[in-house]
Formats: sequence, C-alpha cells, structure tokens
Amino acid sequence: MRKRTVTLLVAAVLLLGVAGPAPAQTFVFGAQGEPVQLDPAVITDGISSRITRQIYDSLVKYRGATTEVEPALAEKWEVSADGKVWTFQLRKNVKFQDGNPLDAAAVVWNFERWWKSAHPQHENQIKAGQTFEYWEAQFGGFDDKSIVSSVEAVGSHTVRITLKAPQAPFLANLAMFVFDIASPKAVEKWGIEFGKHPVGTGAFRFVEWKPNQEVILEANPDYWGVKPKVKRVVVRNIKDNSQRLAALKAGEIHGMEGLNPDDVKVVKGDPNLQLLLRPTNTTGYIAFNYKVKEFQDKRLRQAFAHALNKRAIVEALYGGTGLVATQFQPPSLWGYNKELKDFEHSPAKAQDLLKQAGFPRGLSEITWEDGKKEPLVFWYMSRSRPYFPNPKEIAEAMAADLAKAGIKAQLQTAEWAVYLDKRKNGQLPLYMLGWTGDNGDPDNFLCYFFCAPGAPREGFYLNKPLADVLLRAQSLTRQAERARLYRQAEQMLQDDVGRLFIANNQPPLAFSRKVKGYVTNPTGSEHFNTVEVQ
Amino acid sequence: MGRYAVRRSLTLIPVLLGVSLLVFSFIHLIPGDPALTMLGERATPEKVGEVRRQLGLDRPIHEQYLIYLGKLFRGDLGSSIVRGDPVLTDLLRRFPATVELATAAIVLALLFGIPIGIVSAVWRNSLVDSVSRVWALAGVSMPIFWLGLMLAWFFGVQLRWLPTGFRLDTGTVFDPWTNFVILDAALQRNWGVLRDALRHLILPAVALATIPLAVIARMTRASMLEVLSQEYIRTAEAKGLPQGVVILRHALRNALLPVLTVVGLQVGHLLAGAILTETIFSWPGIGLWVYESIESRDYAIVQGASLFIAVVFVAVNMLTDLLYAAVDPRIKYD
Repeated sequence: MRKRTVTLLVAAVLLLGVAGPAPAQTFVFGAQGEPVQLDPAVITDGISSRITRQIYDSLVKYRGATTEVEPALAEKWEVSADGKVWTFQLRKNVKFQDGNPLDAAAVVWNFERWWKSAHPQHENQIKAGQTFEYWEAQFGGFDDKSIVSSVEAVGSHTVRITLKAPQAPFLANLAMFVFDIASPKAVEKWGIEFGKHPVGTGAFRFVEWKPNQEVILEANPDYWGVKPKVKRVVVRNIKDNSQRLAALKAGEIHGMEGLNPDDVKVVKGDPNLQLLLRPTNTTGYIAFNYKVKEFQDKRLRQAFAHALNKRAIVEALYGGTGLVATQFQPPSLWGYNKELKDFEHSPAKAQDLLKQAGFPRGLSEITWEDGKKEPLVFWYMSRSRPYFPNPKEIAEAMAADLAKAGIKAQLQTAEWAVYLDKRKNGQLPLYMLGWTGDNGDPDNFLCYFFCAPGAPREGFYLNKPLADVLLRAQSLTRQAERARLYRQAEQMLQDDVGRLFIANNQPPLAFSRKVKGYVTNPTGSEHFNTVEVQ
Repeated sequence: MGRYAVRRSLTLIPVLLGVSLLVFSFIHLIPGDPALTMLGERATPEKVGEVRRQLGLDRPIHEQYLIYLGKLFRGDLGSSIVRGDPVLTDLLRRFPATVELATAAIVLALLFGIPIGIVSAVWRNSLVDSVSRVWALAGVSMPIFWLGLMLAWFFGVQLRWLPTGFRLDTGTVFDPWTNFVILDAALQRNWGVLRDALRHLILPAVALATIPLAVIARMTRASMLEVLSQEYIRTAEAKGLPQGVVILRHALRNALLPVLTVVGLQVGHLLAGAILTETIFSWPGIGLWVYESIESRDYAIVQGASLFIAVVFVAVNMLTDLLYAAVDPRIKYD
C-alpha cells in the first residue's frame, strides 16, 4: 500500500513537467471579466461586446482607429434631401454562420425586434428582465415613441428606413455594437437563450462558452471581409489586473485590457511586450451648481479654471495615458475644436479674479439661492472610472491647487449610488464626474448634457444659445456643417466657463510582441480578423 | 449517538434562520438605492423603478423577508439579476471546482501541518521548532492575494513551471461529467487532462493551504506538548516502548482531537479564502463567482452564495462534532 502511494506520487511529479507553448494559430485575449451574454441587442457592457463584435457585423462600421463610418453589411447607402429616408444596399452573398442568407428581410426582422415591443422576440426578453436599452437611448424609444417610422425591404437586398425627423448621428448609431445583425432563424430557435448560442455573419463563429473561464471562437472561412488570420480566438476571463498581466508575461495569453495605471511602465519596460493605447473617448470634468449664488459669477468660475494645474495632475496620476482636456469632446471626435486655447495655470490670476468677484480673502463658504450658507464642499467620486482612474487622489490634488489660489474646499464623497442620486437631483454644489462616448458622435457628448438647459442633473446650468446650436447640429446630416457647429459649441462653453474639463484618458492595452495587426478604436469596437500571432 | 445527532441538528434551525435574516438584510444595509447602484449613472427613473419592483424592494420589509423565506423552503434562491439564470443551478455547477480546490488545500495542510507540529513538539525549542514556529506565524499572517500573486509570478512568469491560473490549458477539449475535473479525468482515463488539471491545481492549492497549514501546525504542536507531559506517556516510555510508537500511537491520537476542531473551523476559512484565491487564479468556483457578482451588484447571487457557504460551514462543524465520538471513544453524548 505504502509503496503504491510512493509510486503514485513519483508518477504525479513526473507527469507535471514543463508546459509546452500555446498552440499557434490561436489568439488568446485576456478579458476583465465574464461576458453578461452574447446577444448584442440587449447588452451594454464592453466585456460582452468585445466578443459579440467578432461574431456579428452591423450595417456600417467604424473605420480603423477612428469614429468615421464605413460600409459593412451595407455596401452603400443614400439619404433623401430632407435627411429622413435612408436606403441601404446590402452586400450580396453574405450568409449567417448557420447557413441562412443575410438579406433585406433579415435586416428588417432585426429592426422590428429591437423596435416593436409586441415582437415575440422582444416581448420574451422583456419578460426575462432584459431591455433593449440602447435602442431606446439612440432612437428615442419603442413603437410610436421611436424616431424611426418605418423599416421596409424594398428589394431582396435593399432596406429603406424612414425617420420622423432627420437624426444626425444616425449612421454612427447604426455602427454601435448593439445594432449588430443577428440570424433571425437562430434567435427564433433559441429565444431568450440566444445570448448563449450567438449566430451572426462575423469573422468568427461561436464554439463554446465555459462559464467563468473562457469563450472560444473559430474563424469563419466564408467571411465576406478581411479573412481572419488566426484559426481560433479564446477570450479568457481573468478578473485580477495584476494576474492578467502575469498571464501575459508568462505567455499564456497574447493580449489584454485593464492595466493598472502603475503597470503601464512595466509593460513599456518589457522587451517581449508592447503597449497600445485606445484613442481617448472619455472626459472627466468638474461641474458647478448654478443654484449656488457665488458660482453664478463668471469671474469666479474663471478663477477656478486658472487655479487648476491640470498638466501636473495628468502627469502624476494617469500612468502616462492621460491627456489634458481643453473641452468636452475628446480629440478623437470629429467635432473637436483644435483652435481652443486652454486656461493658463496661474494662481496669481485666479486670486486676482477672486478679488474682482468680491472675495479678496478667498472663498470658503457658499450661499444657496434660498439664502442658506454652508462651507464649500467639493464632492469626489467613490469609484474609479476611466476618466478619473484615482478619483480621490485627483480630487486632493485639485483641492490643493484651489487652496493655493485662496479657494478652500472640503472634500467629501458618498457611496456611488448616493452620489449619482444627489447629482441627479442637483444637490451637489461642486462635483466631479465624466462621460465615456457611445458612438463617436459629438452629439453623444454634448447634447446629452447641454440640450436641456437648466436641468437639475447638470447643476441647473442654463445656456439657451448653446442648446440652440446643439439642437441645430443634431438636425443636420452634413458632417462638415455639423462639425463647425460643434466647434462653435465648445467655444461657447469655454467662453462661459460653464464647466471645467480636466482630462481625457486613453485606456492602455498590452500585447505580446508576437501580435500584429490589432487596431484599437475609441469606441472599443475592435475586430480580431486583422490580428496575427507570429 | 443517534439521539445526539438529532438534537444537534435541531440546534441548526435557529442558527440557519439567523443566517437567512442576516443574508436577507445585506441588500438593505448597503447605502444608496440598490437598483440605482446596479444600473449606474445612465439609468432612467423608469428603469430604476422596474428593477426595484423586480427585486421586490417596493414592498414592506417584513413581507419581503417572509417571501424570501418561503422561496428558500422551496429551494428557490432566486435568479441572477444580471444574467437571469437560476442561482441554485449555477451554484451547484461551480461548487465542485471550489470543493476540489478546498480539498486539495486541506490535504496539503494536513499532510504538512501535522508532521511539522509533531516535529516542533518533540524537539521543542530546537532550531527546527523555531523555524517552523516563525514559518507558521508568517503563514497565519500572510495575505493570500499577495502570496498568490507572488507564487504566480515566481512559478508562472519567472520559472514558467506552472500556469498562472485556470483549471485547464486554453483549448483543452474535455467534457466533464461531474465538474470535479480531476475525478472526471481519472474516471475517463484521460491522463493528459489529469496532468494538466493537477498542474493547474498546485499553485492555488498551495496559496489556499498556507493559513490552515500554519494553524494546524501550531495547534498540533500545542496539543502534542500538552499530551507529551502527561503521565501515561511517561509510563509508556518507562515500559521501554520505542519513541516512534510512543509519539505516533499514544500521544498523537489524543493530541489530534483539538486539531480536528480546528480543521472543521478551517473549512469555513477555506471557503472565505477561496474568494481571494479563486479570483487571483481565475479558478471558476463559487469564490470567483461571488467576487464577480459583488462587482456587478448581482445581489441575488451574493445572497444565495453567502447563504450556501454559511450552510456548508454549519454543516461541517456539526460533522466535526459527530466525528469526535468516532475518534475518541471516551466521549459519549447523552
């Protein structure tokens, strides 16, 4: 008996030899967590969409590293003069991975599923607790509430979409991962379980999902676009940021996202690794509450703007991936105003402006419109976000800058839900928050915040002329005209010092040097068909 | 014995009720509106209201608790808020991975902890004793996540001997029967997968075993010292029995009783430690699952899994109590 145990032990030790290298032809990507599910229409998170973008295609897609839109399943399109009728010509001979053809009927079916609450494949999702959240957000709602008034097949491969009013970001919206086209037959077959059995037209076909471990995809040999360079894709779920990096260094995975800011230099210093930055699509800001009397004085807001040393904050606290923000739109957007000059960092100027505004001894107390006085409190976020990766440290640095100019703010935070609640009800006098773009359209940044002047959610900021410019830009379809209006809007926002824009961040990704052809996109829509593993 | 087991089981009822109440209150103790926390900064008020209704948060609190209890009795732990899958099904699917890891850890802890404890006690205050005591102290105070990262970095990244995580290599084709991968691989005589699974098990098991190993070693030492000073040991020695027999047959058997209690308690700590270990080593058991659910604010899973872990803990402790009688014939329950 004892002898056998020993033999077994020895055998066990012998068996546990050294690992062989990962098989070639496979691209292993380290994800930050588990996908929610793989039905693109009902998901909202980046972990799930990283996978669905490989399995499905949308009518149009973002080109390379930009948010410009180019053909995908739709080969070409035209829009009527009034901007309301869009006609898409679909690519011919495209098949879903289950063999069914992609034609106008399939596209119409997908739109009806997203749009009509009585559609059986819409209704069953709602009953199961899922929502078509992005359809609602981008196209105004369901059924009659939607900006879409009809979607018809006018030929075997021609789809006509009629809108009630022109919608400028229409194409950019269609390129979002949520509007990927799914196989109607597969959705009908699986119902609410479709998210576990995804079928699209994309470069990779779904093979298996091992819960809490990995999702396995296989190259689709019939893919209509650039043929995949690897045979398999494995997306592994590695929760811990440091451990994901360890797996990359050990050669178990080829690429990853979700680097700790401090690990950026580790990757830069490793000869076997390369760092890629995703073009920024996120902006962190400080907002004023305009029910606070003091903040209604523009000179005071200018004093804040001159007091902050944004460059120092970005350099010290963003791990080398941050950028100083001069405006709300990040530089990757086509409405970005390159001419805009940022406020100069100058505590002296800030003190001077404070004096002019009637606070020669600085500011430490505020007065609400109803006359209530209280100490000035600067609220900071309790949770890390891409735009403010270390909110507490960043808030401390900003408070120190303000103090140098004579503005004494107490720092305070609240649990995330409470924070968002207070912000929504306009109860925070001065707070930090930010935004990450959805579709690469400037409207998605500016209009959400400034199209409804005086909203409590936006600290009651009232700027009617700005809202007019943004609403006008929304009603146009020509990009050049719209871009001019967005540049103007940013100028107006800065002239009024409506808000303080602090930083953009470029989320870092790390890859093995063996990986070539990974193209990062501001929206996170990255396609693995161009990826090679040498 | 039978009557004792029944009586002992009855005491579980108030304990489990207490646990259920505690687990139930989680969702109400967290500041802020859970629905809003789950949905994030872009949630519309309608959506928040909908989720509140879905969670039953719009009902009076005592009613919510009774509904919750009623469901528990029917074996309904609710459904995941994020994915909609029944919690119990997912729990049972992931539990084998945790059991496999915890078993490996406890085996390692016993295999090394008891001999270390014996050696320390027998050669008290020797170099061996000092080293093992310092080692045990370090082990008890070791943060598992740090140790896990170091193990993965050293054996995975630097030496590349062992994988840094997961149960199997990427793309391993294997169809488990019971989700106890090692058992399944052995049953299916799939030696490649067995070897792969064992290689993946080593680092997380070592990380998880550290604390119980240290605790068991310390307990064994203390307990052995006490027993070794008893008169019957002197009698045994005086009889001229070889030292090995005295230590292993006469002393150890009595010294193991308190160790058994500690092992029982350690099972609870193992389950708690598994949350960290599994997260670090991407081990797909309930620990990783709970961690992910905490992050995504999936209260149904956090509640269900907490309750389950508590029940396992209580059950293991009861088993330990019952085992006493088997190990020590002097103990009678009446």
